[in-house]
Amino acid sequence: MNNSYFLHKFRHSSKPYYAMEDDEEGEEESPTELNTINGLTNFVIISPDKLSLKYTGVAQHGHDVGVVQSNKPAPCKRLAYYFEIYVKDAGVKGRVAIGFTTDSFRIARQPGWEVNTCGYHGEDGLIYLGKRQGEAFGPTYTTGDTVGGGINYDSQEFFFTVNGTLVGTVSKYIKGPLFPTVAVHSQNEEVTVNFGQEKFAFDFKGYQASERNKQQIEFDMMSIPPNICHGLVKNYLLHYGYEDTLHAFDLATKSIVCPINGAVEDNIDVQDTSYALHERKIFRQLIGKGDIDAALAKLRDCYPQLVQNDKSEVCFLLHCQKFIELVRIGALEEAVKYGRVELAKFIGLTAFKDIIEDCFALLVYERPQESTVGYFLAESQREVVADAVNAAILSTSPNTKDQSSHSRLETLLRQLTAGGLEMRSLNDGQGEVFSLHQLLMNNSNRKRTKKTG
Amino acid sequence: MSLFRIFVNQLEEDDEDMSQATSKKVITREEWEKKLNAVKLRKEDMNTLVMNFLVTEGYVEAAEKFQRESGTKPEIDLATITDRMAVKKAVQNGNVEDAIEKVNDLNPEILDTNPELFFHLQQQRLIELIRQGRTEEALEFAQEELAPRGEENQAFLEELEKTVALLVFEDASTCPVKELLDISHRLKTASEVNAAILTSQSHEKDPKLPSLLKMLIWAQNQLDEKAVYPHINDLSTGQLEDPSV
Repeated sequence: MNNSYFLHKFRHSSKPYYAMEDDEEGEEESPTELNTINGLTNFVIISPDKLSLKYTGVAQHGHDVGVVQSNKPAPCKRLAYYFEIYVKDAGVKGRVAIGFTTDSFRIARQPGWEVNTCGYHGEDGLIYLGKRQGEAFGPTYTTGDTVGGGINYDSQEFFFTVNGTLVGTVSKYIKGPLFPTVAVHSQNEEVTVNFGQEKFAFDFKGYQASERNKQQIEFDMMSIPPNICHGLVKNYLLHYGYEDTLHAFDLATKSIVCPINGAVEDNIDVQDTSYALHERKIFRQLIGKGDIDAALAKLRDCYPQLVQNDKSEVCFLLHCQKFIELVRIGALEEAVKYGRVELAKFIGLTAFKDIIEDCFALLVYERPQESTVGYFLAESQREVVADAVNAAILSTSPNTKDQSSHSRLETLLRQLTAGGLEMRSLNDGQGEVFSLHQLLMNNSNRKRTKKTG
Repeated sequence: MSLFRIFVNQLEEDDEDMSQATSKKVITREEWEKKLNAVKLRKEDMNTLVMNFLVTEGYVEAAEKFQRESGTKPEIDLATITDRMAVKKAVQNGNVEDAIEKVNDLNPEILDTNPELFFHLQQQRLIELIRQGRTEEALEFAQEELAPRGEENQAFLEELEKTVALLVFEDASTCPVKELLDISHRLKTASEVNAAILTSQSHEKDPKLPSLLKMLIWAQNQLDEKAVYPHINDLSTGQLEDPSV
């Protein structure tokens, strides 16, 4: 474990959006309107709100199609993307089309006719995948129909819907960012687009949920021996020093965990030693209450080797937290004095300097908790310090196994997250990734809707 | 075969292995560890995961202590857990009649809307009677309570027949269905009741932790198709093992 792990956590982890850096759903661009500036709009007129188009050409041949793309490409760091069109008027010939094209698409031709484009045409109900020859796909569609087009990044497929029903899927053979595309090709044809600003006719949320459920069915066939979960929870409690919880847990699970394999049980015991469990619990309690002075005093008493180097990370974090506690109770003068005595010596070291500056910034505000650095006053800061002290004490253990920087649970979660991210990057950056935070947030949201429903 | 031929064959084989290996992205241990270290996990979320486990499995005291020691809030009222655990414990100790009473006290709809659960509880009752050697009572109970259910449902009938088969053998350890007498069967029934109560309280009946472990196994399998990288093969140790290239 590198030294800056806890420093990094101290500086950033209480910020409201920490660990949401993988929440790219919010960050990625998404189509919002039709593109009026890429030179494709010779044969259409686009409404002022940029959500409708009407054919103005003569439709004499295949190169005067009124085809329009969205302003932004479909975001891909998610399970699927979807949009809809409403055929306001199918005009004289009903040659409306919906599909996807790339940003190199610059010809006034129907989507699907050119390579690296895909189109589902209303006139014949065929799907066109880069060839002039289409394949049977779905029903034809005309005035009054709502047609949807989507990309499933998991299965790497295009899918289309008509009036709320899925009509077919086809393999997504095109790489790279894709633009939702609409086309009209006869007099009076008029279409409106819906990029999500209105409710969809198709139950897109339900579709995504059922796609996620497919994975669930595979999972239901796997089984995890209960011993494993118990072992992970026990190791977690031991690692962080949650002594009381651990004892209650041990008591409750004694009769349940049938040692299937005696050797396995022993193995677990050997790995999870309870080095300094009681001390670590006491430290966590003290720091959790904000009683940093007591924590420092006890540290000097019990683990002098950790405070010998008074420029160590553990000392720094404790002093910082003390500073924060003084600010919290409004003892600003005392805080400044304390900072001068205990924190000044750390300024020379770049790793610490940034944090000191952030902490001192708290002094500037009348109501620091409402300021941009207010998160330093959060309870979670105390927890970071407690975790750092916990890790420091573990590092004094003669047993090298105790010095693993993470609990086993954390190790597994890291492997899972890293694996997901790697899979996505190997999939051209497309698809959903595992995020523990998202999973837990979704769970609480789902419960809320369930109760009212 | 001449030595030359063997040599050339070997080279060809090596070539094949090479192309197989190079078609997948190779990630060294160092690179992989860097990726692992870059993952951001909130302590808060891990605490929530553990609390979810304690609460769903019904470890009330542990959940209480964990709330006090970590400040994590349990997602459901701990008081409801105590009732649920009383039922679970009753089944685990073989006091099925008591358990049924408690479930009905908690929420009579649970058994009403769960015929399979109710049958399994009755079946467990029968097993306990047989275990205690109360043969006459067992037969009476089977005839009065369980046979009517068996008539309505083929699956129940089969289960019933299996259970009654226990009576045929003096020494139960020679019976082919002896696993019914095993403690693990009590645990299975207890788990079923636990899940039904949780569902009736609009709570997810399974803790999240096992699904995450399954997700990990699945994710590694998926990634195996495209890359070579260090695995965690043993969930109980969490040890990173270098890929066997």
